[in-house]
Amino acid sequence: MLEVEALHCGYGALRAVQDLSLRVEAGRITALLGPNGAGKSSTVMAIAGHVALSAGDVRLDGESIAAASPVERTRRGIGLVPEGRRVFSDLSVAENLLVGGYVHGRDAARARESRVLALFPRLAERYRQRAGTLSGGEQQMLAIGRALMADPKVLLIDELSLGLMPAIVDQCFAAVLDLVREGVAVLLVEQNTQRALEHADSVVVLVSGHTVYRASGEESRRDTGLVDSYLGLREAG
Amino acid sequence: MFHLELLVVGLIWGAMYAMMALGLTLVYGLLRILHVAHAGVFALGAYAGVLTANATGSLWLAVPAAIGVAAAVGPLIYRFIYAPMLSRPPYVALIASIGLFIAMEDGFRLLFGPYGLPFDYNPWFVTTYSLGGISLNVVQIAMAVSTLVLAGAFGVFIAATRVGVAWRATVSDPQMAQSFGIDPVRVRYLNFAIGSAMAGAAGLLVGLLNNLVEPGMGAVVSYKGLAIIVLGGLGNVPGAVVASLILGVVESFGTVYLAAVLDRDAIAFAVLIAVLLIRPRGLFAPAR
Repeated sequence: MLEVEALHCGYGALRAVQDLSLRVEAGRITALLGPNGAGKSSTVMAIAGHVALSAGDVRLDGESIAAASPVERTRRGIGLVPEGRRVFSDLSVAENLLVGGYVHGRDAARARESRVLALFPRLAERYRQRAGTLSGGEQQMLAIGRALMADPKVLLIDELSLGLMPAIVDQCFAAVLDLVREGVAVLLVEQNTQRALEHADSVVVLVSGHTVYRASGEESRRDTGLVDSYLGLREAG
Repeated sequence: MFHLELLVVGLIWGAMYAMMALGLTLVYGLLRILHVAHAGVFALGAYAGVLTANATGSLWLAVPAAIGVAAAVGPLIYRFIYAPMLSRPPYVALIASIGLFIAMEDGFRLLFGPYGLPFDYNPWFVTTYSLGGISLNVVQIAMAVSTLVLAGAFGVFIAATRVGVAWRATVSDPQMAQSFGIDPVRVRYLNFAIGSAMAGAAGLLVGLLNNLVEPGMGAVVSYKGLAIIVLGGLGNVPGAVVASLILGVVESFGTVYLAAVLDRDAIAFAVLIAVLLIRPRGLFAPAR
């Protein structure tokens, strides 16, 4: 569904990501792991169209979207849950969802909104509340819900669990697994490698912008050395 | 009674400040630019109004002229002055804005003379009504009413319409708003058009109230506008409205009780300094 091929990107002379290739299939989770500053967020933002590619290609259903604007990518099915959630803090939950569905017009938005509220009943409870006053977990749900309002085929999630209580992390993962079962393709960036490995169908590990490990979910779960070799930084620190 | 009158006159003057300051605080909220040339748009609205009124003999025609010209010029200022400078540090746009304001002031002076233009016929200035014992002329009533109507309409627009929500989303996080299909450039044009329309209306009303439109009329309002948006909490729209009303009332009482020590136009800054000593981020600091 989503193919990233030989992607290079970064700000200015600093190349954040070098020669990265990965695929995300419908109804599957690809986990993009690695220590802080490895280039995971740059990759996500490049796929969403907010960071320019210096080389390589991004394809959705076989068609290149590398030249498309961020809006165009949203319209074609790229959904973004950005690092730090970035909900519109001055807007209510309802208004955040409205903006999420902006590309598809009013009527489509109404139908999608009821699905989002069914997936995250907490958002229905907080419907008129300002997003800035929500808890971290609720903001995460809102960031996911907002992305879902545009009816994405691929969901890019930059840190699902960062800073959340374990019970909330469970809820968020459960919701994402629901979406995956419905056929959404998910690219999951995580610092919480344990949780990501549990659910991933394929795994790519970045260190300083270079791909250092690539395997199926099965293989990576059997590979006891993986966490120690590349992902131990967080656990150690 | 006397105090009530001071209060009412102060609120009316504050309402005019609010009309002016709204555009300033909107520009600051969206682009982080101190739009000093907004005061030039204010004077431009007054000129468009007085020229139209004197040419046609109709004050009613002056209203759409003032609002229309200001609403057209505001977006042009964005397009040709600020847009090319957005990638530069904000003080670059600030300096350009001050330059534009001075150029506009001197342009008015060159075109229309240094002493300004009076209205040939200004019935609104001389017609007064007595409301509950307080005597107000039609211009003062118009200031109060138009601020209520314009600020109210703007409040409804920003709170309850799809475009208003898109606008606030853009102020909150332009990049995310853009990725969900909101065109930030269109929001900016709209921002400048609406803010400038209100400044043009305020300019016309001040011109009518003084029965004179003169080149420097924007200057005092300009620095007071800056004081107001700082007091209101930079970029905070309701804060700017409340700060405007407070300043109007404080000035109104100040001209009576502080006249011996402080000029009317210095009061804004005395208030600004006093408030910033206690609340460094303004009376109504923005959220977060």
